[in-house]
Amino acid sequence: MKKIGSVLIVLIIVGLLFGTLMGCGGKKETPAKEAQKAEQPAKKLKAGFLYIGPVGDYGWSNAHDVGRKYAQSKLPWLETVIVESVPEGDAIRIIDRLVNEEKCDVIFTTSFGYMDDTVKAAEKYKNTLFFHCSGFKRAPNLGTYFAELYQMYYLNGLMAGVLTQSNKVGYVGAFPISEVIRHIDAYALGVKEANPKAKVEVRWIFSWYDPAKAKEAAQSLVAAGADVLAFTEDSPSVIEVGQEHMKKGKKVYTFSHYSPMQKFGEDSVVSGQLVDWGPMYVKILTDVYNGQKDFTNYDLWWLAAENAALLGGEIGQPINPKFVDLLKSKKIKSKDLGEMNAYDYVMKRYEQVKANQFEPFTGPIKDQKGVERIPAGKKADPAHLLSIEYFVDNVVGEIPRK
Amino acid sequence: MQLGSYQISVGWEVRKKQTPLLSALTLLGALGIGLIWVGLVFVFLGVDPLFALQKILIGSFGSLYGWKESLTKGIPLFLISSGLCVAYQAKFWNIGAESQLLMGAVWSTWFGLHIGASLSPTLGIPLMFFMGFLGGAFWGVIPAILKVKFGISEVISTLMLNYVAAEFVSYLIVGPWKGTTKYGYPYTDDLPKHLLLGTIPGTRIHYVTLALGIVISLLLFILLYRTKFGYEVRVVGESPEAAKYAGIDFFRTSLWIMIISGGVAGMAGVGEVAGIHHHLSYPGNISAGYGFTAIITAWLGNLNPLGSFLSGLFFAGILVGGDAIQISLRLPAATVHIFNGILLFVLLAGNFFLNHRLVVQLRRK
Repeated sequence: MKKIGSVLIVLIIVGLLFGTLMGCGGKKETPAKEAQKAEQPAKKLKAGFLYIGPVGDYGWSNAHDVGRKYAQSKLPWLETVIVESVPEGDAIRIIDRLVNEEKCDVIFTTSFGYMDDTVKAAEKYKNTLFFHCSGFKRAPNLGTYFAELYQMYYLNGLMAGVLTQSNKVGYVGAFPISEVIRHIDAYALGVKEANPKAKVEVRWIFSWYDPAKAKEAAQSLVAAGADVLAFTEDSPSVIEVGQEHMKKGKKVYTFSHYSPMQKFGEDSVVSGQLVDWGPMYVKILTDVYNGQKDFTNYDLWWLAAENAALLGGEIGQPINPKFVDLLKSKKIKSKDLGEMNAYDYVMKRYEQVKANQFEPFTGPIKDQKGVERIPAGKKADPAHLLSIEYFVDNVVGEIPRK
Repeated sequence: MQLGSYQISVGWEVRKKQTPLLSALTLLGALGIGLIWVGLVFVFLGVDPLFALQKILIGSFGSLYGWKESLTKGIPLFLISSGLCVAYQAKFWNIGAESQLLMGAVWSTWFGLHIGASLSPTLGIPLMFFMGFLGGAFWGVIPAILKVKFGISEVISTLMLNYVAAEFVSYLIVGPWKGTTKYGYPYTDDLPKHLLLGTIPGTRIHYVTLALGIVISLLLFILLYRTKFGYEVRVVGESPEAAKYAGIDFFRTSLWIMIISGGVAGMAGVGEVAGIHHHLSYPGNISAGYGFTAIITAWLGNLNPLGSFLSGLFFAGILVGGDAIQISLRLPAATVHIFNGILLFVLLAGNFFLNHRLVVQLRRK
């Protein structure tokens, strides 16, 4: 009990000390702040960014921060604040702070799990604009945006299909959600187009970032006979596994994910998927700057055509130069393109997806049970892709479900 | 050590009595040293330390906004740490509060989604907390049985059960419990609206859990210091041998300790699910490491449930105030950990110096 008494005394003393400290320099919140904001000429724009992970990770949050820096360099009237490693449950607290203390005009919340908090915040702060990445709920002051990579996975699949000797292609998946399932399916469709005999085997790790588990999953796929690996996980672990095997003389090809990871496996990384959020942030912020008021229908879904999704494991290198000759020595045949060497074929398809002339999810597409999901000649619409919950027929592995 | 004809011996001596004045001075001294140290880190990072501290304090206890958030974050902390006090006083090293919280969240989510949906809030909410208590207690009793019956160290078993519980939650949300309204994302459906905990208007403080936390801290204080059971707990902690001779049933006491400690953590899990998230999601979301932070706050509160209430609140303030480090000072998130680590280090060191005295003896040979 004595201890408690003394703790109280100290807390009071400390409290008083800080009270005076704040009294000296503390800036009091004024109710007139909203009015102030309205009077200010709209010359500057301040944007706050919420990241789910540390910006120093090698995936999602880092890619967004690269995009933010790009926007910062392009837009002289832009000021930005970032908050990294924000747990989903804490988003609203950080948003409060960005609005009230930092007076942000625009707030970007870059994780699906922030959706409900962002919606609440948009209701609470009518004079602030919100943009939620990967969500689907919108309001007059809340827009959504997303950069989608499935076309790149399809192109990676084409290469995986011609490179595999064992006809077993591996995939290390983060979480069995539609986004990842869509990527696995796109990858499998590419594999199938290049090599109808090959199967895609999936291992789930149930984490967005877990280098140890990703490594383990990759090793187990290699042990099971897979010789090409793609993945969704925010570290280059899978690539390191490929590189180790290559060094030992066993051919294990890999595809880089999200960030340029080729440097972690020069001898293993054939290509990959790269995201570029920069132009998208420039577009959104410019729209805001130019005075757009209503964002109820503002939903950016950017793909290869907008250069939000790029092919490669290194910026400016759609295919690792080390593997160009190997790919040129292989052939892929299809009805619409005829027979071509694999390198030209992939580049041709890349041109096509960029020009919106080719959709990987074109029927007939059957799921693992043989049920036809997309009829012959039909293209999947965005809603179908957004909520996809089945594996196409050349995928081995299960989607955990009820 | 030899020094000429003198023999110097240096050693630690346990300080038997701590006066309130000494305790207060130690705490103040520790905080003072900590703040200077933190200030140096800020100077090194090129930030005015006074400005930095001021921002952190406005963000934690120096503004209405700060208080709201510190209280919200403090609820799970002081709930769990008051339960941990009971376990640690018996020297039962429960490192598994994190998983007990998760199991409380799991049991109450199941109850809320299935049975609670058809109950009135006045019946449903208390039962939900009861289910959370049972969930945490169940998960806490396992290591107690393993320890007493099979001699398995509870440090290992409680620690390892954290991983089991986390994987279990992950399994539930991507598998059998995956919500139908969440667009394929790994969350359960939201709890029925009438079972969500009310918040104090304009805040995120779920007042039911806050009130529970205060009442439980008081009750556990009374239990520890004013009842026979509390006495037994402390005897078991001081000397298991003496407890045996005094006829204290070690098994029964251990079970109760873990029922209380695990159960209270489970209730914190109910608060997080029904008060903050409204559904079960990734384990790392449901608890931002509260079960581990509460270990620290229990010790900072000198293993007294009332003390841990204060230290839990204090620590929540530090965590919330830490936001300012990122947002206002533009420093990386890792700086928050440095800040917290330094404060912790000096406070614990202060505790050590309060309980021990450095003895230097000089003796002529």
